[in-house]
Amino acid sequence: MSWYRSKVERDLARWQTAGWVNEAGASAIRADLQSRKSPFGVAPIFAILGAVLFGFAAMSFVASNWTAMSKLARLALLLATLWGCYGAAAVLLQRQLNAFAQAAVLGGIAVYGASIMLIAQMYHMEGNPPDAILMWALGALLAAVLVRSNPALAATFVLLVVWTCWERGLGQAAHWTFLIGWAATAAAAAWLGWRPGLHLAALSLVVWLVPLGFFIFDHHAHWIVVLIGGAVGVAAAGAAPAIDRQVPASAALFAYGLILAFAGLHILQFIDPLMLFGMQQDTDSIQRLVLLAILTLAMLLGAMLWALGADNRAALWLAYAAFALEIFTLYLRTFGTLLNTSLFFLIAAVIVSLLAWVAYRLHQRKVPTGAAA
Amino acid sequence: MTATRKILLALAILALAQTGVLAAMVIDRVRLLTSGREITLPIVPVDPRDLFRGEYVRLGYDVGRVPANLLEGPRPRLNRPFYVVLEKKPDGTWAPIKISRAKPSEASADRIVLKGRSTFGWSSTASPDAVLAVRYGIESYFVPEGQGKRLEVLAREKRMAALIAVDAKGNAAIKGLIVDRALQYEEPLF
Repeated sequence: MSWYRSKVERDLARWQTAGWVNEAGASAIRADLQSRKSPFGVAPIFAILGAVLFGFAAMSFVASNWTAMSKLARLALLLATLWGCYGAAAVLLQRQLNAFAQAAVLGGIAVYGASIMLIAQMYHMEGNPPDAILMWALGALLAAVLVRSNPALAATFVLLVVWTCWERGLGQAAHWTFLIGWAATAAAAAWLGWRPGLHLAALSLVVWLVPLGFFIFDHHAHWIVVLIGGAVGVAAAGAAPAIDRQVPASAALFAYGLILAFAGLHILQFIDPLMLFGMQQDTDSIQRLVLLAILTLAMLLGAMLWALGADNRAALWLAYAAFALEIFTLYLRTFGTLLNTSLFFLIAAVIVSLLAWVAYRLHQRKVPTGAAA
Repeated sequence: MTATRKILLALAILALAQTGVLAAMVIDRVRLLTSGREITLPIVPVDPRDLFRGEYVRLGYDVGRVPANLLEGPRPRLNRPFYVVLEKKPDGTWAPIKISRAKPSEASADRIVLKGRSTFGWSSTASPDAVLAVRYGIESYFVPEGQGKRLEVLAREKRMAALIAVDAKGNAAIKGLIVDRALQYEEPLF
């Protein structure tokens, strides 16, 4: 039984005892729940997993010994497999087996990527290895748009992220070209109207943005990540009704803004100084850390307050998790001496407790008026 | 057109487009191998522990180590293509004489332009008399299983050279491996 169904069943029993739902209504709701099909059938999941396994089988071809074949035979084999996958997709589509057809398309994309690598190997091509990943990503994007394939779109985002991380590793530069590929793929996700695809778009952009500070200006420009994240979060919170009238996205945007801003602050506080100065600390760096820590905790408390008010569960849990991570990392870092650290935590504890008390009083005052209305 | 016909057409276009990309890779390479200018570069041993890795050998070249002071014009960016001009010495070997970000026009018979990349040495802190490790895309050679050890020994004894094809754009490809002045591993086109 699905999580949703068991929850409704439990609530239904409670509502029936309270007399809000009669027997006829309850059985109608149960019948409706029964008739609903779970969106995650076993067959499509196994079909997709099967396609992934086929992909791995094709990839291990790189490692296996196939030198006995002539180059022409190898090329023919690769192309036959490629066309076989798309042919299978066509047959499956005609039989209305859409999930299996999607799996076949995903298999075709895997074979396409393996073919790029195998041809490069056959002809001893080296060039710039990330270019091969880009070529693969573009093939996947074409599949996503032409066949309206959601799995192909997901594969495109994954490949784009691999491409940009590799380029950044080799070139030690911001790699702005990523944004062109990302924008095209995000537009495809919007056109397909696939919500998880839009989340993947946001996530892949976050993955690109978080380390951006290492590559621009003085290579320590993490404040820019904090600013972008803060701006997205504030805009999502401030213009929530206007955004949600277009697309119900303000809650998700707020959460992604929060992730970005926190990641930027985390790098500024703990990762960047470690690279600059190592483990040693002087008074200046400690003061900087304390200021940034106060800013981070204040931002997280503000985000929690807003998330509570807007009933934004994802952002609330993210803010809790970030708060815990921040406190834990601060504890490991310590400000110079253990005594100073304990003082910092004591002040933070007093402030948060005060906030709890204020929130409790506000809640108390709100409840009677709410009941009267 | 019905929805089914449309999706079949879409699948056919997808398969054709991907086939086209793969075919272009092969055709481009075959063109380079058949019409490119031929030069022979002696192979020098790379770090011996790293020479034979899995199914391919890493090939090192004297021209893969280029003094950074040969640079003319602006510095190339890390991992972005730049050009190295090689000149043929009287003893028949090739040596780098110039690096530049823009493609130089060298038309004489004893000069050739190669396109390269470097992931080391172009940082702003690198000193001008540093030596750059340049990759020309001819540094990996996939070998039949069991042949790697033999090639490793031959490279260490400096008995190997690579026959390289170079096209007008500076792209280079391995045509074959020469052992003791005889072409031994010739690459079939297909």
